Amino acid sequence: MRIIQIAGFLGSGKTTLLLRISRSLAEDKGFKVALVVNEIGEIPVDGKVMEESGMKVKDIGGGCICCEVASTFAKTLTQLYRDFSPDIVLVEPTGVALPRQVKLAAAMGSRGAPIEIGPVVVLFDATRPDELLDMELMGLLVTSQLADADIVAVSKVDVVDAAALAAALAAAKEVIPGAEFIPVSSVTGEGLDLLIERLSADAAPGSEREVVDAD
Amino acid sequence: MQTDDACYLDHGVSGYGVAVKLHHDRPAEPQEVGDLLREMMDAIARDCVERGAKFIGHIKSHLMCAQGSLKADTIGISHPAALHGELSGPSNDLYVAINSIVQGITEVQVKEATLGSAHRLAEERGFRVVLEKEHLYFDEYDFASDEDYLQQLEAQFESGAEE
Repeated sequence: MRIIQIAGFLGSGKTTLLLRISRSLAEDKGFKVALVVNEIGEIPVDGKVMEESGMKVKDIGGGCICCEVASTFAKTLTQLYRDFSPDIVLVEPTGVALPRQVKLAAAMGSRGAPIEIGPVVVLFDATRPDELLDMELMGLLVTSQLADADIVAVSKVDVVDAAALAAALAAAKEVIPGAEFIPVSSVTGEGLDLLIERLSADAAPGSEREVVDAD
Repeated sequence: MQTDDACYLDHGVSGYGVAVKLHHDRPAEPQEVGDLLREMMDAIARDCVERGAKFIGHIKSHLMCAQGSLKADTIGISHPAALHGELSGPSNDLYVAINSIVQGITEVQVKEATLGSAHRLAEERGFRVVLEKEHLYFDEYDFASDEDYLQQLEAQFESGAEE
């Protein structure tokens, strides 16, 4: 069971992207996909949107899965494996969660399920890079999230021009030069094939997976 | 791994969620409903900023009614709210879930901004807030109309009378 995080700051387009990706992984590639969504604010707006897609969705409320309800998240993964046995679990943490901590919590789930920690995708909103990286505002958190990324998906590229996209890419690369950068749009579909290719690399529908450590 | 110290509190982020049922005496047109939801998101964001919010993280909503569902959200007052989805026809009853996550003001202030704007916008457009559930989503009982509820009671009564 491969655990893939679609992380990123609030409003970066995680839910929309996750829905596009999950449909493609399930319908085009034949994977059994489950979704785990976590929100602060205690009303599962994203979970309701996802449920309408007809996918298997688990809502985790009552706090953030990277800290407050981390063990609930780990138990949820075990339960998902027992009840549904998905090939891939796409996890949408809260927009303020730290991906590294979510990864550690997911690894705890390997006590009860064969878990493989997949790539961490962190979305970076191309429409507001300066605002996001402003250290007087949320810059510290956003840079911490970016620093945990295997793949930085620069999102909403359909609503910015080439110069703005280049600026957003440059700003994100300054934080984590070693990551892979994929400009994406959940509206036009730009970049999604490449992203899905990366997320499903070496995975086969129905295959059992070995337990691995998050580190 | 489980802790009482939420990561987001360190960054001054507060969240508030509420579910409201709105009723209009005449069926509201899809355009009217979409405008209401979009403007509600913008109004909450503006209200949060007026109360001192430094940063609008995400203000989002999900609306359900018999004619379909809509989603609206905003990430700040310089970014107009986006609306997705469509309704197939006019509707009297709307079930709206709202989640507001912002930085720089307290949860109480986020709550006041969210509820205040939601009520004001709805009432300006002729809707009444007939149900409000803080921190909780609707359950099956919220969706039952009085007629449905009475029918269920009648069915219970009849089945009880036969026993």
